[in-house]
Amino acid sequence: MSEIFKPARPAAVAEVLVQAKGAIEVRGRGSKRALGRPVPEGLAVLDLSGLAGITLYEPEELVMSARAGTPIADVRAALAEKNQELAFDPPDYSGLFGGRDAGTLGGAIACNLSGSRRIKSGAARDHILGFAGVNGRGEEFKSGGRVMKNVTGFDLSKLIAGSYGTLAALTDVTVKVLPRPEKIRTVLVFGLAADPAVGVLRESLGSSHEVAAAAYLPQDVAQTSAVDLVARAGASVAALRIEGHGPSAEYRCRALKGVLDGRGATEELHTQKSEIFWREVRDVAAFAADPVAQIWRLSVPPADGARVAGAIAARLKGRYFLDWGGGLVWFALAPLPDAGAEVVRSVLPPDGGQATLIRAEAGVRARVAVFQPLPPALAELTRRVKEGFDPDRRLNPGRMFADV
Amino acid sequence: MRMPVPDPSVIARRAEIARNLRALVGPDGVIDGADALRAYDCDGMSAYRQPPMLVALPRGTGEVVRVLKYCHAHNVRIVPRGAGTGLSGGALPLADAVTVGLARMNRIIEVDYANRCVVAEPGVTNLGVTDAVRSAGFYYAPDPSSQIACSIGGNVAENSGGVHCLKYGLTVHNVLGVELVLMDGEVVRLGGKHLDTPGLDLLGVVIGSEGLLGIVTQVTVRILKAPETARAMMMGFASNESAGDCVGRIISAGIIPGGMEMMDRPAIRASEEYAHAGYPLDVESLLLVELDGPAVEVEHLVKRVEEIARAAGATTLTISRDAAERERIWAGRKAAFPAIGRLSPDYLCMDGTIPRRKLPEVLAKIAELSRRYNLGVANVFHAGDGNLHPLILFDANVGDELDRAERFGADILRACIAAGGVLTGEHGVGIEKRDLMPEMFSPLDLEQQHRLKCAFDPSGLLNPGKVFPTLHRCADHGMMRVHKNETRFPDLPRF
Amino acid sequence: MQTHFSPAQLEEPDIREADGILRKCVHCGFCLATCPTYVLLGDELDSPRGRIYLVKDMLERGAKAPPTAVKHLDRCLTCLACMTTCPSGVDYMRLADIARARIALDVRRPWPERLLRALLALVLPRPGLFRLALIAARWARPFKALLPGRLKVMAAMAPARLPAPSAVDRPQVFAAEGQRRHRVALMNGCAQQVLRPSINEATVRLLTRLGCEVVVAEGAGCCGALAHHIGDAAGAEAAARANVAAWEKTIAAGTLDAIVINASGCGTTVKDYAFLLRHDPAWAARGARIAGLARDVSEWVAGLGLAGAKLAPAPTVVYQAACSLQHGQKVSEAPKRLLAEAGFTVREPTESHLCCGSAGVYNILEPVLAAGLKERKIERLAATGARIVATGNIGCLAHLQGASPQGASPIPVVHTVELLDWATGGPVPAGLS
Repeated sequence: MSEIFKPARPAAVAEVLVQAKGAIEVRGRGSKRALGRPVPEGLAVLDLSGLAGITLYEPEELVMSARAGTPIADVRAALAEKNQELAFDPPDYSGLFGGRDAGTLGGAIACNLSGSRRIKSGAARDHILGFAGVNGRGEEFKSGGRVMKNVTGFDLSKLIAGSYGTLAALTDVTVKVLPRPEKIRTVLVFGLAADPAVGVLRESLGSSHEVAAAAYLPQDVAQTSAVDLVARAGASVAALRIEGHGPSAEYRCRALKGVLDGRGATEELHTQKSEIFWREVRDVAAFAADPVAQIWRLSVPPADGARVAGAIAARLKGRYFLDWGGGLVWFALAPLPDAGAEVVRSVLPPDGGQATLIRAEAGVRARVAVFQPLPPALAELTRRVKEGFDPDRRLNPGRMFADV
Repeated sequence: MRMPVPDPSVIARRAEIARNLRALVGPDGVIDGADALRAYDCDGMSAYRQPPMLVALPRGTGEVVRVLKYCHAHNVRIVPRGAGTGLSGGALPLADAVTVGLARMNRIIEVDYANRCVVAEPGVTNLGVTDAVRSAGFYYAPDPSSQIACSIGGNVAENSGGVHCLKYGLTVHNVLGVELVLMDGEVVRLGGKHLDTPGLDLLGVVIGSEGLLGIVTQVTVRILKAPETARAMMMGFASNESAGDCVGRIISAGIIPGGMEMMDRPAIRASEEYAHAGYPLDVESLLLVELDGPAVEVEHLVKRVEEIARAAGATTLTISRDAAERERIWAGRKAAFPAIGRLSPDYLCMDGTIPRRKLPEVLAKIAELSRRYNLGVANVFHAGDGNLHPLILFDANVGDELDRAERFGADILRACIAAGGVLTGEHGVGIEKRDLMPEMFSPLDLEQQHRLKCAFDPSGLLNPGKVFPTLHRCADHGMMRVHKNETRFPDLPRF
Repeated sequence: MQTHFSPAQLEEPDIREADGILRKCVHCGFCLATCPTYVLLGDELDSPRGRIYLVKDMLERGAKAPPTAVKHLDRCLTCLACMTTCPSGVDYMRLADIARARIALDVRRPWPERLLRALLALVLPRPGLFRLALIAARWARPFKALLPGRLKVMAAMAPARLPAPSAVDRPQVFAAEGQRRHRVALMNGCAQQVLRPSINEATVRLLTRLGCEVVVAEGAGCCGALAHHIGDAAGAEAAARANVAAWEKTIAAGTLDAIVINASGCGTTVKDYAFLLRHDPAWAARGARIAGLARDVSEWVAGLGLAGAKLAPAPTVVYQAACSLQHGQKVSEAPKRLLAEAGFTVREPTESHLCCGSAGVYNILEPVLAAGLKERKIERLAATGARIVATGNIGCLAHLQGASPQGASPIPVVHTVELLDWATGGPVPAGLS
């Protein structure tokens, strides 16, 4: 039975790392434990979910600081009271992974998970202003601050985001918060094949109507939506999200529909239904319902999205949908021993793109490269950076790459 | 300002190094005449000057790689330089270093409208990126005031901001990828046309790394559709407090303007002399707000901001009627720093960020310091994000004014830290704020940053003497153990 | 920025003036953005900021100008784009004037260099000699491969066909058509008469059509720009004095409303006559008076208006903004507005602030850089899709005429005033089908 350390205050974290010997699993509420390469069995655990609580919230300054283990739900609730939000919209993967909730703020940052609005509002890593944590040597350190404009020293906050706890155990995080939009509208265009659909997404994103998110659901994914208008259409749906002040959102929604007139049947969702729809996209709800499917998440240049999805679908049995204007491809396939890794990675464009195996059984994730393999020079650099934080490879060893 | 001690053995080999570099970048790619080298002795911060040992002007990634490989093998230091418009001395040469100027790498490599991005060489100017896509109705959002001349590579090094970064983000939020040459000549590509690359966010940490981690030889940036319309509003207030209060009210109303800038009386005067934008000369504080986006949204926001401004006590209020007027209003603000040259032969442009609501407090402190040091000061700031630019006016030809100006500047930065802010919002630490780093970071914090530097540049040859107050020898890291707050290696040469 | 002149040095008026200019520079680097040589060469030394540094060094030391300073100042086109860009108000033009005057006194250039400059200074301002030289050059063209460096360049530049000299350039008075509303002098210049006399012809037609009596003054000739930019202060002063005297006679014969100049390079110089003649207070005052009357033809015609005359259908033209006009005289909008009023669709190229590389005799003295800038400019002009280039300076016109954008035939270059003449009833300009 591996030992579990659950510090109640930040200073205790350093003590734990000094006291415990060897490798250690760093986790918040464990909501994303099944994400990434599998954690070796039998490791001691550093459970940070006890470090919870908002320590600073100044709405007029657009800033919030909280202990890393603060549940996302709590953060969201506090922000909603002041009509604010986390614009990067961290997803709730409890449906995908069978966890109990959306996890912690620290976890969302550490995995750099963002919703559909990422293309306009930025990813998690664009919203972290500063942090405090403990590195693999047991040293407490901090970086950044509580202001957006900050070039004082290296921006370690960016490095920490998306590092899956392999560089430091986070104790405190400071994030930028933004006003919540007054109204949300979603323009839907039905019946388009993938290519023309991506064309519609591109045109909309390149217009001056400030589209906040752009997704495409083929029919077999659309039909699983809880929004009737989408599920009952019997067709694929291209969706554009528009948000902002009341009159502006309404006007732009109308204007966008005007631009897209003639491409296919169009419909409009208002705030409530929009929220449901986009939450489904964000949380990959269509695939969460199938507990067995292996799921890939590919990031490609938006213009390549349709082609890439089509190329995989031609060779692997499964379903897909697109987000980020075509730049994000979600693919769910019937389980294969290698999760179809070779096929998936072979269709990536030569000059840019990456595929991450988001969900598969632990055994598969141990064998297959979960994260896109790095070119040698970059792999070497990554190793050296890791060494600078955690020379003995104690923190979440192998969570991202075998030697990190 | 103390810099790393030059290595006499390198200087002794100067002629040989020049010869070898010429073989790598061509005969007209190396500058070694004493007269000529003087022109490179500083960047936009002219208070400190040091002619470089040599200057190399490569024309492409291949040449950059060859130069760095050679210098790495021969233990020669490198100082990268973009357009030389930086304000923190990040491109200040070293007496034993080769300044590598990237200005010859100034081509736009690709404009990709389908993926809404531009791939450019580092010497392309910030405005040059926008110029390349303007005809299609697009632009590159981060707009530092020096955008007409500053290079995109330099923007990456300093994580530049600008007037519009409040709404559109800093350089780091608008760069999709870079090609980076490490000090040993290795080329790595970070990011690309797709978002959220696998592995550690090295791109995020390279942006803002002030030329310490590698030389950027290619940048892929995001371009945005130009907003349907933009209006500039100009509001005068009888005090900095009331102007600051107005800023707070606007943000609290849930409005994020495209840009929000403040200037005080001396800055207003200087800018007006240059731009003739119609700035009111009888107000204490001028607030410039840009509202951009779809026309219906801008109409709505202009009305709301006007209401808020009047309620906050604005004594004058102007709303731009057309694009030309809007440009003029901003031209004055953008030229504010150098326009100060009309008031004073020299100035030190400070750069600190504070929480917005502390503005009146910090301004009052600055006014007090101005009296104490007996030097004038003009204030220009990005009110929207609390990034201050106090401009300390002095005359280097007079006695100890430079010295007093520097001490004044350091005190301002201390006030920023005390108010819960940071040393630098967008100009970088360079040499200017280097020695104040320990006021913001503990020895361990700085240690962690050093280790990152060592991961990228174990030789320590890239831009030494900048950002961090002590020179580190990376080879010593293996033996480091933590002791609380002790100064590590007291025998390490501090320069 | 900080300067280091001794009190003794500051006794000298030119040094004092230079010190004042240098103190204004804060080393911000904005000027790099719009400097053609910096854009081409990427070297700080070939930027205004770098040149300012070199001049500062040179003047502070008080010794003979070092070769580095001479080289980089020679490369400066004097396009003055930097002055338009500079937020601090650095008078780069004046600083360059002072530096060049120094260099002209101090530095002994190699004799081929001196010979060339003397030749240019002798020939270009004299239409008769210039014509002969061009004819000789045309004959030499087939042999240009055998000619040394600069001469080869000049031979290549000689136009294939030289227009015959025009009667319009002889001293005379042209009566206004209909009621006389104004009396103006037309400066008929020097090189322009030889290269494209149709410009002066079109100007006379246009002005008389718009109610101006036009006087071509006896004794007026080259404005002195060439001598001034080469650093030959005496030559420049002599030319200025001759023109001042000639126009004073014109004024004596009746009210003169303006001295209209249709070569913007010359216009900038005439408007600066008070400075050129500064060493003699009496002449300086007379020069100031004449300078006060000088107008670029576009400024003057904009004041008159075209009386609704329009060409329809009118082709699309791309406007090439001459440096001397946009930066030197700060006239940017008038020519474009006039062309639009006259019915033309007016386009502007990107990088319109950047010099085409002509810059007086720069294209002879610095052929490589001039060629680089020409190529850049012609591409941007062609990219607008227009098939006619309109410009307000003979320098740009001669330099760009016949230049082929990549993979296309050369675009004809005409003077703005020729197009306005055409639109108001004159003939189709030469070179347009």
